[in-house]
Amino acid sequence: MRVTIKLFATLREGRFKVESREVPENVTVQDLLASLNIQLQEVAIILVDGRDAHPAQELREGNVLSVFPPVGGG
Amino acid sequence: METDLRRYQRNQRTISVDAQEKLFNSTAAIIGCGGLGGYIAEELARLGVGQLVVLDGDRFEVTNLNRQILATESNLGQWKAEAACERLRTINSSIKVVCVREWFEEQTADKVLRGVNIVFDALDSIPTRLALERASHRLGIPLVFASIAGWFGLLGVSFPGDFSVYKLFGRHAQESRGMEVSWGNPAFTPAVVASLAVAEGVKVLIGHEVSLHQAWLQIDLLDMEFERFSITD
Repeated sequence: MRVTIKLFATLREGRFKVESREVPENVTVQDLLASLNIQLQEVAIILVDGRDAHPAQELREGNVLSVFPPVGGG
Repeated sequence: METDLRRYQRNQRTISVDAQEKLFNSTAAIIGCGGLGGYIAEELARLGVGQLVVLDGDRFEVTNLNRQILATESNLGQWKAEAACERLRTINSSIKVVCVREWFEEQTADKVLRGVNIVFDALDSIPTRLALERASHRLGIPLVFASIAGWFGLLGVSFPGDFSVYKLFGRHAQESRGMEVSWGNPAFTPAVVASLAVAEGVKVLIGHEVSLHQAWLQIDLLDMEFERFSITD
């Protein structure tokens, strides 16, 4: 199935801004991130179709996954 | 309201006379006097917010010079909160400035935030931001949260009951600091994000609808992208 992945801020480095990808049915957010070599410690916000999602959530055809790293400086 | 209205002439008409009076009758707390806090405090003083409570338990050090507007070569070692008070008094002697030379702690929040109409997050720690939100919510005070790292930043407005900071940082984020640990903070990032925070905060004080309620603005100065996202349950 196809999903779209949007990476933000520092997660784009060495990767991409947005990409449409063929992925296995029922792949989880966490698995997909692992395939991009993104560890969960590097992630603060996960959205699937604009809604907060858990790393264990399974993706569906056409989902848009948006991932943001932690930004904590001041 | 002070008599020398020429000071605020160039706020008009973006800030109406009524709105200017509301600002003068408001108290804002700036939690942190570093990168974000220095700019936030400076701008609020110039805008004419009547009382500013500036808090920071730290002193300036040489690595602050790249971005902290209150840090100068000659005040290294000075308490940040005191330097903030000195600076703010030179900009606007008609407002009241309260100097709190302490770290923010939930246990002392009631004392620090008493009488405050808005809180500006200028912290550099995620757990402390979560504590600041809890305290602000408990005390019924709107919070403008903001954070920066490298070319990037984000901000939003968390009204009591929103728990926006928790929803953004308390669910998946595991560390107490973010990408700023490896990416640092160049001078332009705190300046941009601080100014956006002040713009939203002013709206809260003057009674205008804010743009970032139950939402955040993701700021990317590398790709020059500014995108608003809703915060969902």
